[in-house]
Amino acid sequence: MSTIHTPRFTTALAIEAYKLRRSLALLLAGVAPLLIAVFVFFNMLQMDKPSPWEMAFKGSAGIWAFFMLPMSVTALTALVANSEHGPRTWDHLRALPIPRWHLYSAKATCVLGVVLLMSLALALMTWLAVQAAGWWKPNVAASGAPEIAVYLMLLGRIFLAAWLLVAVQLWIALRYASFVPALATGIGGTFFAVVATSAKIGAFLPWQIPVNQLASDPARAQLALMVGFAGGCITLIAMTWHLGRREVL
Amino acid sequence: MSHAIETQGLTRRFGDRTAVDDVSLTVPERSVYGFLGRNGAGKTTTIKLLLGLLRPDAGSARVAGIDITRDRIGAARKVGALLETQGFYPNLAGRENLDLSRRLLGVPASEVDRVLEVTELGAHSRRRVADYSLGMRQRLGLARAMLGATPVLILDEPTNGLDPEGIADMRGFLRELPARTGATVLLSSHLLGEIEQTATHIGILSHGRLVLEGALDQLKSGLASEVTVETDTPEHATAIAREHGFDVVHADDALVARFAPGEDVRAGTAALNRVLCMAGIHIHALAPRLRTLEALYRQAALSAAPAPALS
Repeated sequence: MSTIHTPRFTTALAIEAYKLRRSLALLLAGVAPLLIAVFVFFNMLQMDKPSPWEMAFKGSAGIWAFFMLPMSVTALTALVANSEHGPRTWDHLRALPIPRWHLYSAKATCVLGVVLLMSLALALMTWLAVQAAGWWKPNVAASGAPEIAVYLMLLGRIFLAAWLLVAVQLWIALRYASFVPALATGIGGTFFAVVATSAKIGAFLPWQIPVNQLASDPARAQLALMVGFAGGCITLIAMTWHLGRREVL
Repeated sequence: MSHAIETQGLTRRFGDRTAVDDVSLTVPERSVYGFLGRNGAGKTTTIKLLLGLLRPDAGSARVAGIDITRDRIGAARKVGALLETQGFYPNLAGRENLDLSRRLLGVPASEVDRVLEVTELGAHSRRRVADYSLGMRQRLGLARAMLGATPVLILDEPTNGLDPEGIADMRGFLRELPARTGATVLLSSHLLGEIEQTATHIGILSHGRLVLEGALDQLKSGLASEVTVETDTPEHATAIAREHGFDVVHADDALVARFAPGEDVRAGTAALNRVLCMAGIHIHALAPRLRTLEALYRQAALSAAPAPALS
């Protein structure tokens, strides 16, 4: 008879990552940044003269933070949660001899990891798109040197600011077996973020916090970053506690 | 005899509905325990309580001697489960699904090959679960339940979706499991025939209450035996038999004689036959009614008062 022992959290995390194989969530993770890069590419081809690298990078980060990130997080969390809701695996997972908080925190860590990878993919794809546009139409090739570090720093701030958004969307997606509450919240939140772009409350609205990293006022960007990251950490802890204790009927 | 599973006054309510009502069951070690009840009787809720998926409102449950409410993880290490919801990732292969569970259980990789061999799924293990038939998924579920060779297996409706050949295979497999592995099997089903051919012990749940429990052979031996007598004149035959002190009833154009538990049925049947023949009654057939689980189930279910809150 084999001895069953409690695996470490890293095992649960590795398994979460493994579950993404051949999944729609992984497809989404690749397609979302690719769409922005394609937009950047064709947008440059529309121009008549060279523009600086910074402009392409800021444009890419703006689309990402303003619209694509909230929508991608909405879809990604719904898909990741549905990988358990759909085949009804919760009972099996929760009957295993592992602490239940491992399951939920591993899932949260995995989603954050995918969002980070999407951010990095966006950086790489945008760089490639700008290069490709310059190669395709030399007179619009980006001018100056690309400040990759600055761009990565901006994407990093957007990523950290998105933790509250990820936490809220993931909590709803895991709590409800139906897609509807998570999608309705995500679409509604993104809609309000778009229509109330300059509202002061935007620094506290999960779907608008990331785009605040592009604000011209550094204090506002800093406040949004703090709210997004700290709020995200607290919300993720609360989510793990709530879902770990909750009965799945 | 020690018990692999034991509950005391286990109770669980959903709102004003009592799904599991003061259930005290005992599953002996190395037994195949048939957990019977019609749909909605509370079997799945009881199983969820035993797996720590639900919290009881009252009572306690011990699995392999471990209190599930005090040490869920410790108890879960002793149990393999096949639940009604199969719960596989369709985008992954059968082997990959098993490997995920295997890693979460922290058992060696060789366990996957072992359970695939036992369930004869090895040839299909690299196919995606999305392409599996219902029967294959059920066998994969059984394979997953056996990972780690836990001392207790809890199987909720394991023959669901299996074809007749698959059901027969599963039946033989489960029957031999305690002898082969030392495991105890709690087998939930509403199929009396399956349980009768597989289980050594049974528990019957009705309206959330455990109405009968024990070793199947002992319980069946406690049933009254019956013999059906077919004649041209069942009413006359009934009267004659009663005159001679037989416990008989007239039912469906036949006469049914009842023999108390322990009574010599063969001798009694011969005596009845003699009495009726001597009275000039033409007998076409004498058919003993077997002491079946179905009879046991009907008796137990009928004797149980329905709970008013049953959905």
